Amino acid sequence: MTTARPDLAPPGGDVTGVAATPGLFDDLARASLAMARRFAAGATLWCVSPGSAFHAHHVAVEFVHPVIMGKRALPAVVVPPGTDVVASLRATVRPGDMIVAVAALAEGDVAEAMRRAPAWGVETVWIGAGPRPPGGAADHVLWLDATDPLVASEQFVRVYHLLWELTHVCFEHTGLLRPETCEEEVCITCSDEGRTAEVISVDELGEALVRTAEGRERIDTSLIDPPRPGDLVLVHAGSAITSLEEDRR
Amino acid sequence: MSPQGTDFLYPFIEGDERDAPSLLADLARSAGAKWEQSSRLRKETLARIDDQIRQAAAAMARCFEGGGQLFVFGNGGSATDADDVAQLFTKPPRGEPLAARSLVSDHAVLTALSNDIGFDVVFSRQLEAHGRPGDIALGLSTSGNSENLLMAFGQAARRGMTTVGLSGYDGGRMADCEALAHNLVVRSDSVHRIQETQAALAHALWAAVQTEYRPHEGAA
Repeated sequence: MTTARPDLAPPGGDVTGVAATPGLFDDLARASLAMARRFAAGATLWCVSPGSAFHAHHVAVEFVHPVIMGKRALPAVVVPPGTDVVASLRATVRPGDMIVAVAALAEGDVAEAMRRAPAWGVETVWIGAGPRPPGGAADHVLWLDATDPLVASEQFVRVYHLLWELTHVCFEHTGLLRPETCEEEVCITCSDEGRTAEVISVDELGEALVRTAEGRERIDTSLIDPPRPGDLVLVHAGSAITSLEEDRR
Repeated sequence: MSPQGTDFLYPFIEGDERDAPSLLADLARSAGAKWEQSSRLRKETLARIDDQIRQAAAAMARCFEGGGQLFVFGNGGSATDADDVAQLFTKPPRGEPLAARSLVSDHAVLTALSNDIGFDVVFSRQLEAHGRPGDIALGLSTSGNSENLLMAFGQAARRGMTTVGLSGYDGGRMADCEALAHNLVVRSDSVHRIQETQAALAHALWAAVQTEYRPHEGAA
């Protein structure tokens, strides 16, 4: 067990006096450990950047073919530019995978893919600049204050380079790569308070086939307005208890 | 532990550790230090080679004014930078769109050349097909040693094109390449930090070209 590190500077964004968004380095650290854990468990990283495809290609090549000799090759894949991001990811991601997007808030269907990721069992990292996504839009939001698009683009490269570097540091901490165990008194997953599900199909009796992080299941939908294929719902004890589409229509 | 490991940078590595907060604090501190290193390299490089950037941009602007076009190329992460540069010149956030193409984006051409001849010719052979006097060849390499870039610069020079290179370390073989007229070197020995400053350098080069560019009347 490693002892506490009183010698370390307290975690904070601007620990070095360099202009970076407050909290960025802590967010990077948490995202890197999460990514290392998922990679260790067999994840594939799906890379998306609808407006600037070169960023997605850059992220993928960093992980697949590291610039530092001896570092392991990791599965990272570009979501082909010009494709329907949601449809492409829905068809290819597996539970346990990750998505990293390099995109502005309103760029392409990134926000929509991120929203659906919990139903697919996928952890999300969103790198961007400008207006910040609302809380909970992705598991890890690595956001920059840069207003000039070229400066922002340069800083994105730094962010994903650091993401790669820190992820590989985490691989050397094998004791910390095991899946997180649940220590909270009330855990949403364990208590089944409500899991996100994506509706695949609905039959005439109000039963729906849905996709969740745990796989496909049949649920009852009589407690909510009839959902449509593609809708997100919250599932509890075999029933849809809330539609996640109501505010969106 | 692999001898290539980074444990010398992170002395608290243990196989059985459970203290994630300690690691996270360490990672955040490391990220901050590298961010600062990158900022410093960017600033120092842009100041040190300001004249060179202006000279390369002026030469490029004259090519564009004469109807020339820009071909950009590189390998790996530098290939993605090449795409970035081509996109920036053709679809700029401000200023004039200028004719530019990335030589890494056509997988049919890349695989045909690699399969039939070898990867060393993937850029030079394309310049043989497309390049004309008054065009520009811009190659990016962090090492400065990529054979396919050196061959492309040779081909470009023979065709009367203006040659511009972005390299790292001490410039590598690109520093001694007679066919390369403008070699912009990012002096660092970290591939990632070099690449981050090369992105800034490419953007600075684009901005300087926009400042220099004065299209003639009657030009397309």
